[in-house]
Amino acid sequence: MLTRTWWGTAEPGYKVSVATPTDADLVEASRAGDRGAFDAIVARHGRHVYQLCYRFVGNHEDASDLAQDVFVRAYRGLHRFKGQASLGTWLYRIAVNVSLNKVGAKDPRPVSFDPRLHAFDERAISSEESASEALLREERAVQVRAAIAKLPKKQRATLILRVYHELPHDQIAGILGSSVGAVKANFFHALHNLKKLLS
Amino acid sequence: MSHLSPSEFIDLADGALADARAAHAASCEACRAQAATVRDALRIAENPGAVPEPSPLFWDHLSARVREAVATEPRPRAAFGLGLRVRPLLPALAILVAVFSVALLRHESRRAAVPERISSSPAAMTTDAIHEADTTLYAGHDEVWAVLTAAAADLRIEDAHAAGMEIQPAAVDRAVLGLSSAELTELGRLLQSEMKRSSN
Repeated sequence: MLTRTWWGTAEPGYKVSVATPTDADLVEASRAGDRGAFDAIVARHGRHVYQLCYRFVGNHEDASDLAQDVFVRAYRGLHRFKGQASLGTWLYRIAVNVSLNKVGAKDPRPVSFDPRLHAFDERAISSEESASEALLREERAVQVRAAIAKLPKKQRATLILRVYHELPHDQIAGILGSSVGAVKANFFHALHNLKKLLS
Repeated sequence: MSHLSPSEFIDLADGALADARAAHAASCEACRAQAATVRDALRIAENPGAVPEPSPLFWDHLSARVREAVATEPRPRAAFGLGLRVRPLLPALAILVAVFSVALLRHESRRAAVPERISSSPAAMTTDAIHEADTTLYAGHDEVWAVLTAAAADLRIEDAHAAGMEIQPAAVDRAVLGLSSAELTELGRLLQSEMKRSSN
């Protein structure tokens, strides 16, 4: 039997018999100075954090920089994590803050949306869809992303968390530090403004 | 009946609106039109599609970048809210520590009022132990106490020694224990003045 730290990954052919550690276990171990535990947090939450950052900046390069920044800030702030919200919610909160800082900076780099967003769209050209229809759909998608980028910060964050990450209103409230009612109102206004920007 | 509020329109779109309000939305032309707008906007918002999946190697790369970045970071500390705020004030606070050390000697007799288990083993005292022992001493001086204990936590003994000061563990705690209410008030004034000066 392979004996390693309990969040370690087993070499091929070996089995680790211990249970999967909870986020709370990993936070506790990270606080105790175990860098491997923090690696496991990054491995577990990296994809969601990256995807959230991507929704704000629209390209891989900036999203990967922001994701790294989120985890470095999380590491520095682990002592402030009280466990009242889930670790995922807390990381989302950091991700929203660093992303909004990035896109709201006074002299931001222009948001450049990755062309792969079109090419890898899961609703990519089907056999029934003509090339011109696909082109129209992609142009529309570009317009929608540009319109979302123009929304006020909180409306934008609310819309991204609700529509693309399908989070419940109460979790969004926890991430944004708002009430559930305020989240719903923000979401309503985000949709209303989106429609106005695109009409 | 009143028209739906913004949050009720979202509840309606989620299928979570109370029956009576949903009935109103169905019968009210203005609310029906607004609900249709919300549905349209939702459909439009879903248009941009999924985030492209990065290369499979990216996740290991991200982990490595984070690992490298945090390698130079100190170990995350135990919960303490004032560290960053206090750190720039360390030189001034180090001087205050020296002042309190003198105060400690002056108020030796007053320390007799402190519970025995604290005064009997000062070298082993911690901030937490003192807090547990007697919080009534600091009534009305919470902020002063918080700043000082933060200073005690952040102050590196070796830095103080390098500056020529002989500081014992929990020296700040012991010094403050010996201060009267008027002295604590004056200390608070001095700290606020120093904070203002440092932030200018």
